[in-house]
Amino acid sequence: MVHTTVVGTYPRIGETPEEQALRRGIGRLDRGEIVEADLQAIERDTVREVLREQNEIGIDLVTDGQISWYDSQSHFAGKLTSVETNGLVRYFDTNTYYRQPVVHGAVAWKTPVLADDWKFAQANSKVPVKAVLTGPVTLASLALDKHYRSKKALALDLATAVGEEVGSLVQAGASHVQIDEPILTRHPDDLTLVSEALERIRSHKGRSTLTLFTFFGDVAPIYKDLGDAPADILGLDLVQGSATWPVLAKHGSTKPLVLGLIDARNTKEEDPAAIAKKALELKGAVDLKASYVSPSNGLEFLPRDRARRKLHILRAAAQKVGVGA
Amino acid sequence: MRTLEEKATSEWIRFQEEIGIDILVDGEQYRGDMATYFAENIDGTEISGLVRSYGNRYYKKPIIVDELRRRGPISVDWFTFAQAQTKRPVKGMITGPYTMMDWSFDEYYGSRADACLAFAKLLHDEAVALEAAGAKVVQVDEPALSTRFDELPLLVKAVGIVTKGLKAKTVLHTCYGNYNEIFDYFNKLPVDQLDLEMSNSGLDLLDRFKREPLKKEIAFGVVDVHSHVIEPESLIRERIEKALTIFSPSKLVIDPDCGLKTRSVDEARIKLRNMVAAAHAVRTAHGLI
Repeated sequence: MVHTTVVGTYPRIGETPEEQALRRGIGRLDRGEIVEADLQAIERDTVREVLREQNEIGIDLVTDGQISWYDSQSHFAGKLTSVETNGLVRYFDTNTYYRQPVVHGAVAWKTPVLADDWKFAQANSKVPVKAVLTGPVTLASLALDKHYRSKKALALDLATAVGEEVGSLVQAGASHVQIDEPILTRHPDDLTLVSEALERIRSHKGRSTLTLFTFFGDVAPIYKDLGDAPADILGLDLVQGSATWPVLAKHGSTKPLVLGLIDARNTKEEDPAAIAKKALELKGAVDLKASYVSPSNGLEFLPRDRARRKLHILRAAAQKVGVGA
Repeated sequence: MRTLEEKATSEWIRFQEEIGIDILVDGEQYRGDMATYFAENIDGTEISGLVRSYGNRYYKKPIIVDELRRRGPISVDWFTFAQAQTKRPVKGMITGPYTMMDWSFDEYYGSRADACLAFAKLLHDEAVALEAAGAKVVQVDEPALSTRFDELPLLVKAVGIVTKGLKAKTVLHTCYGNYNEIFDYFNKLPVDQLDLEMSNSGLDLLDRFKREPLKKEIAFGVVDVHSHVIEPESLIRERIEKALTIFSPSKLVIDPDCGLKTRSVDEARIKLRNMVAAAHAVRTAHGLI
């Protein structure tokens, strides 16, 4: 049977008053009614709830929903030496925005950013919690570089910093680490740089399983070479990146995959049987028992109730793959 | 609620008249969100739960669940109400078809182009109705314009459907995008006037406009609507003077970068006062009054 996982983000708030505690908390912090420690307690309650939902639905490999992240770029990059965060910039083709990291000098890792949050999440989950980090090439591409004047030079220094962070997560006990490089769906020619950067990260991974995930589009032009990237598992967006499917079906994969078959950007509900049938088309070409099915990207682009529905569909589809395998 | 919304609309119309704005807006006091307001008044849609935009800001998105149909006028009665308060022209304001599509979930069409063109057809009827109600200017808001560069031909086609046959002056407003990537499309947009956020991006498009002239009017944003900082009149004058080095006065309209709803009432008022004072000072200096 194929396993189930999520990609990273989970909706922070829902429709009920209880599900809006984090939104209220941030508002109260902004008004000076509470302090940072109070907000962190609220964030952690939300993380508990997000983990409980994933655990109850039966997702095999979960995340903390990246609840404490302001966005995918500034949360980690903003805590490195020589990086400040600036104004809002549109995040790929979504209607969401990130605070743009501005690089003023040589970037360097200072201290663990994610390890405490990961330890808290793992202590509150019945199944392994995957640590998720934005990859160095995406970070470099979306930052404003006022120092290196070279994407490659910045990306490789960021890779060293991400590697240090991965080391701290593995030391804390993380058994699964995922590096997100959505930039590959826009700039497939960055694959060589992504692979070089991943080599730096891989040296810190210890015994953990390292996943390289691409989303917001297809990787068809580079699919065959992507298999040589220094990662244990490849994650693919097969919804917005449906153009990858014919290449994947033709060539298969020597590495286990995360098959992003559930649309995480639209509320329309998939038929679990159709998803299972699609996954089973790869039988013999992909090691399905070592692979996962997942949403196509993080779930924060959906309302909370719809995200939950999508996870139920994901779980049902995986069970049907098991029956059909 | 309607009474309060009318009161707020009247107050903003009076304020705009009082400070000397030439072309007014109704202030959209009755719209919770620019996309959901239209969706709530279109058959074939539902409204989703909250999704995040950034930070602690969330919004509800339309969900297309059936064929899109205009069940009747959407914003016409508010336009009529606002226009009755003033002798100056009030703009008819339409959320554009591409933005409506891009900001909606789609459970019905299964094609971004089909959903976009379905919005375009019904929004054309709304534009015609606004014109029939007396709108001399119809503005199509397309903040999602620069989301996917490969879909710019679709946007041009859809906006063209909305504006087809209108005698009113047509305006396309967009903001917070990568203008350099979409620049080549500016002259292809089927409207009379392009309304751009300029001050947030440091007027950095001016050099390009110098090299590649705009063949239509420009509404030139001179006030940053996402900053608490109040631009002094002198700074706004500088921005207008820079605009005049590229655009002729007859093709240049001065406005804020975007809608002012994220500012406090006091901030909005003072930003607009400074903007109008700066425009007046520049007109006087150039003998344009």
